[in-house]
Amino acid sequence: MEKGGLGLEITELRLGLPGTEKMMKKRGFTEMIMTSSGSNSDQCESGVVSSGGDVEKVNESPVAKSQVVGWPPVCSYRRKNSCKEVSTTKVGLGYVKVSMDGVPYLRKMDLGSSQGYDDLAFALDKLFSFHGIGVALKDGDNCEYVTIYEDKDGDWMLAGDVPWGMFIESCKRLRIMKRSDATGFGLQPRGADE
Amino acid sequence: MNYFPDEVIEHVFDFVTSHKDRHSISLVCKSWFKIERYSRQNVFIGNCYAINPERLLRRFPCFKSLTLKGKPHFADFNLVPHGWGGFVQPWIEALARSRVGLEELRLKRMVVTDESLELLSRSFVNFKSLVLVSCEGFSTDGLASIASNCRHLQDLDLQENEIDDHRGQWLSCFPETYTSLVTLNFACLEGETNLVALERLVARSPNLRSLKLNRAVPLDALARLMACAPQIVDLGVGSYEDEQDSESCLKLQAAIRKCTSLRSLSGFLEAAPHCLSAFHPVCHNLTSLNLSYAAEIHGSHLIKLIEHCKKLQRIGDKGLEVVASTCKELQELRVFPTDLQGGGNTAVTEDGLVAISAGCPKLHSILYFCQQMTNAALITVAKNCPNFIRFRLCILEPHKPDHVTSQPLDEGFGAIVQACKNLKRLSVSGLLTDQVFLYIGMYATELEMLSIAFAGDTDKGMLYVLNGCKKMRKLEIRDSPFGDAALLADVNKYETMRSLWMSSCEVTLGGCKRLARKAPWLNVEIINENDNNRMEENGYEGRQKVDKLYLYRTVVGTRVDAPPFVWIL
Repeated sequence: MEKGGLGLEITELRLGLPGTEKMMKKRGFTEMIMTSSGSNSDQCESGVVSSGGDVEKVNESPVAKSQVVGWPPVCSYRRKNSCKEVSTTKVGLGYVKVSMDGVPYLRKMDLGSSQGYDDLAFALDKLFSFHGIGVALKDGDNCEYVTIYEDKDGDWMLAGDVPWGMFIESCKRLRIMKRSDATGFGLQPRGADE
Repeated sequence: MNYFPDEVIEHVFDFVTSHKDRHSISLVCKSWFKIERYSRQNVFIGNCYAINPERLLRRFPCFKSLTLKGKPHFADFNLVPHGWGGFVQPWIEALARSRVGLEELRLKRMVVTDESLELLSRSFVNFKSLVLVSCEGFSTDGLASIASNCRHLQDLDLQENEIDDHRGQWLSCFPETYTSLVTLNFACLEGETNLVALERLVARSPNLRSLKLNRAVPLDALARLMACAPQIVDLGVGSYEDEQDSESCLKLQAAIRKCTSLRSLSGFLEAAPHCLSAFHPVCHNLTSLNLSYAAEIHGSHLIKLIEHCKKLQRIGDKGLEVVASTCKELQELRVFPTDLQGGGNTAVTEDGLVAISAGCPKLHSILYFCQQMTNAALITVAKNCPNFIRFRLCILEPHKPDHVTSQPLDEGFGAIVQACKNLKRLSVSGLLTDQVFLYIGMYATELEMLSIAFAGDTDKGMLYVLNGCKKMRKLEIRDSPFGDAALLADVNKYETMRSLWMSSCEVTLGGCKRLARKAPWLNVEIINENDNNRMEENGYEGRQKVDKLYLYRTVVGTRVDAPPFVWIL
């Protein structure tokens, strides 16, 4: 198994005569992630590919870690379904600017590090040391602030409407706005009847 | 018993249903063998290549239910190339030609085609139940045949199959007069569903007990379906995003409240977490909860849901301490990794496992993926739960030792096999030496299935297992240093086992050939994706390591449907 010249062959756990090829499709890590987004189940199934790797090194980043065919032993059907989830979160990776009304500077946060709206709320609270944002995200009516985001089309949207995966795919920046600035825009409290 | 007429004996035999017991009965005497033969209703064939349809029909001419398994277990993890085998077509053809009144067919890891399904649907008038698990090769056209032609169908249960979804109208192929549906599971279908047809089908199925939907069934449709089927016991929710439509939400809540028989919940394939609360009113009745596909449900929502589930017996999820404190009736638990690249999932460690073992005394089956483990934790788990029947532990990183002491995990697993006297299935992982196999051979007297990966030092390891575990049926080994000496030590052992799988081990072609010569009643298959001929051509023939070996006992000799990359010695 090639390792691109890292010279780790000696420490590599190999079974088979020198020179025998491992018989599996080899694709790089990034290639696997790029092709696994969406429908092609075939590619995703064989996705966890051997790139060799020293299995004993604990400190390596996940990308460089050993990826062996069929390991961990999660059946391909389940792998495919969790692959879909991984691909949506990875696409939304990246830092977005977050502004809060009344705060003279902006912050940046990594959407990919949050697992859902709850985590986001908590992270936003921490970012600005203000315990109201999370509440605003969950049940809007009683709170001083609303959380809005700019989507791919350039429109400003109320955060929390769409599923998390869809949200992080389209969110370009976040703004925590005073509710008083938003009145007059017909913002209904979430869950109320029309 | 010999003074009773045959009909009486047969009636007594009707109460004996387990395959093992029926087999024991058949061995008592010729008379019992004959009576048992003709009265056997359910046949289980664990390896479709161990026998053929003709011999099956000769022995059991009157059976009604057949279970067939095809590919080896490691096919689930992409270790068996496409096209290896496990075709159901010859079986269905043979059964169709005979007079057998087939009512139930259960297939696992087999290749099923639309042609097979069409033939099945036309050949057996009383056909009632089709269960396909981890199968592939067919499309929704095949399902359309089943729907159209099986007048008395009760169960259509599709679990984790690869189905080519032609987005057709298979659901509307159930005739309007058809009202006998009991189980419908199409969660694994990818495409759009004809919701109108589905609603009408559910509305005219008063016996419907189990309904598992796929992604494409949204919230408002779910509300209508549940309103039609308040008698439902087992529900798999599909898509669950649109909480904004408050009218649908209210309707759903009203419908759910009426489902007082609901005991099992799964799915939530695309779920906005806020919606889970709609199910809280029925949680206290749930005995089974499977959220393993609910990728978007995290933390607090999960915990709230579980807190309501006091009667839970079967669960697959991520919130362990809550489970431990709430679910005292828990019997089965599965914890899957959220991040398969091994980067995340830091929340699942040995602490979770210990908490579960302490909190859930009835636990007997566990599948647990985690980042790290210690001997101390395993010893504690063994003390807390001596009733394990299935214990499968997967530490994500191969060869990882006890993270506190840096020792191998031999003692930990040793404690498990020593304490759990009824252990039937075991999967080991982490850093392990031959010692763990000594323990397994010594103590795991009831063990039937053992999965080994990246473990052991020498052939002694495998020998301990082969010599010690008298009830071993399936042994599967990958990436471990066991070779010819272990493979050949006791050839007759393989006659007592269903199968042996060894991949990326030290077994050589010469060794396999010797085995095949010594044991003609075994099929010894070498699976070599790249080049089967290369092995013979170059001079290292005898010493060439075999990448994948799969051997199994059979009474019907070499199979005829092997693809070119499978070499049967």
